[in-house]
Amino acid sequence: MATLADILDPTGQTTTRIGGAASAPRRTDLTGVRLGLLENTKHNAALLLEELATLLQEQHGASTTVLRRTKTAFALPLPEEQLTELVRECDVVLVGVGDCGSCSASAVADGIALERAGVPAAVICSDAFTATASGMAEVQGAPGYHYLTTAHPVAILDPEAVAERARQLLPEVLTTVTGASAVQKQAS
Amino acid sequence: MTVTEAPAVVPDADPEAAQAAIEHCYAQGWSDGLPLVPATRSLVDRFLATVDRQPDEVIGALEHLNRTVTVELAAVNAAMAGCRPEYFPVVLAAWEAVQRDRSAKGGGWQSTSGPSPLLVVNGPVREELGFNAAGGVFGPGFRPNMTVARSIGLMVRNALGVVPHGFEQATQGLPGRWQVCLAENEEESPWEPLSVEGGVPAGTSAVSGMLTRTAEYVDNRHTADPEQLLADFADTISRSGAAIFRHHPAAVVFCPEHAQMLAGAGMSKADVRAWLVERCGKSKADLIRVGKDGVGDNGVRSADGTTDPEVFDRLFATGGPEALPIVVAGARNAGISMVVRVFAGWSASSVPVVGRTTPTTQAGAQQ
Repeated sequence: MATLADILDPTGQTTTRIGGAASAPRRTDLTGVRLGLLENTKHNAALLLEELATLLQEQHGASTTVLRRTKTAFALPLPEEQLTELVRECDVVLVGVGDCGSCSASAVADGIALERAGVPAAVICSDAFTATASGMAEVQGAPGYHYLTTAHPVAILDPEAVAERARQLLPEVLTTVTGASAVQKQAS
Repeated sequence: MTVTEAPAVVPDADPEAAQAAIEHCYAQGWSDGLPLVPATRSLVDRFLATVDRQPDEVIGALEHLNRTVTVELAAVNAAMAGCRPEYFPVVLAAWEAVQRDRSAKGGGWQSTSGPSPLLVVNGPVREELGFNAAGGVFGPGFRPNMTVARSIGLMVRNALGVVPHGFEQATQGLPGRWQVCLAENEEESPWEPLSVEGGVPAGTSAVSGMLTRTAEYVDNRHTADPEQLLADFADTISRSGAAIFRHHPAAVVFCPEHAQMLAGAGMSKADVRAWLVERCGKSKADLIRVGKDGVGDNGVRSADGTTDPEVFDRLFATGGPEALPIVVAGARNAGISMVVRVFAGWSASSVPVVGRTTPTTQAGAQQ
């Protein structure tokens, strides 16, 4: 005799992954920090990160030494070598733009990986992809992971509109990668 | 509660208990929206008994989502999809065929384009299991066609965890998602089966698979001139809406009438393919009009506007079956064929069906 409890589970899921804290130690300001820009080939991604880097340099003293890297397999988390290089060469990394079904999730995975390796990261996703971005944070065992959103769409913006997006994002990027955010998170 | 008293298998099983079990499956979030067959150990064991595979063998994974597919999970999902146990060797071959599509291992299932597999079954297993190769071949109406295709969808949903509005981010998806498993109409095809182009000898049961974005018909009952007929296909294949990269694959599922007309004019599959590869594409002038004339270093099209309008952008990157697979299926009652928009390309690698595809071991011949 079979009962409902005898119906087999088709998911294979047994436990939720519990991960380490996804928050690297923060500096209080960005003076002299070496930035890393991890763009994912999505249209306007490189430009948006570049605009943010310029603002961080001009207004907040970030170093002119910038490591620019492109993630060619945008659907997947960044390769180990690229992670190692960014961790070695950078003090703060900007990641984006999560502007598709798979790359929004993988951008969040990259941010969490960078944080766990000790580098503060600001991950930027389009606001159309919060379900998949937050879903990845759960998969990575960091369900409360904080990423930034910008209004969808991003790909069809002209350069001036991209620069405006960067200006809009700047305050939250700052609080995300400096101590201000850590304090806020603890308080919340 | 009659549910707990219901036996696993009886000739006059309690329909209300069955309804409760179906609702239970819905409540767990396992369903694609249609009822699932509640899979019990004894049922799944009958699936596993058709193949010589270890249940814990891993046959697919999305490592970035921390999910894997095993033979056991494939069997559970195939049972839930409504397959009979003897379909299971076909399900495993179909899954492997889809795994050979490079986009299935990347972010394909998560894509906004919402792709769906086109599965093509060849060989004697079509008749053994009752696959439809003729009228209404894109479905529905035939249990093996529908449930094998659905099994793949349930495996992606349940075992890989790619669920709509979660990791599955299809903007609209496509009609017939997880529903298209054709048997090739080999009996009325003038050409070699797709599986032969996929490297499997003729007469061996095999499944081919590729991710697709939609299918659109070419209805031409108007000409007896093979070049006019092919020009009609070229127009549909070349439409600009499908162009997002420099090059695109496409498939054609010819109806027997079209295939036979082309073969009657002396054209092999390779000849048909070469004709289309030569002519499919758009002029820059046409592409400028839709904002897709530019091509970046990464192969993505963009609105450049300054390209030479006289230049012709060919659609196909290569001239082989990986870029333009050709299948023959459907009834021989009209000149209606289908152009299929292929997502990333065909692996040009078909997967033999290995296992028992008959209901009992006594009656079964090993494939």
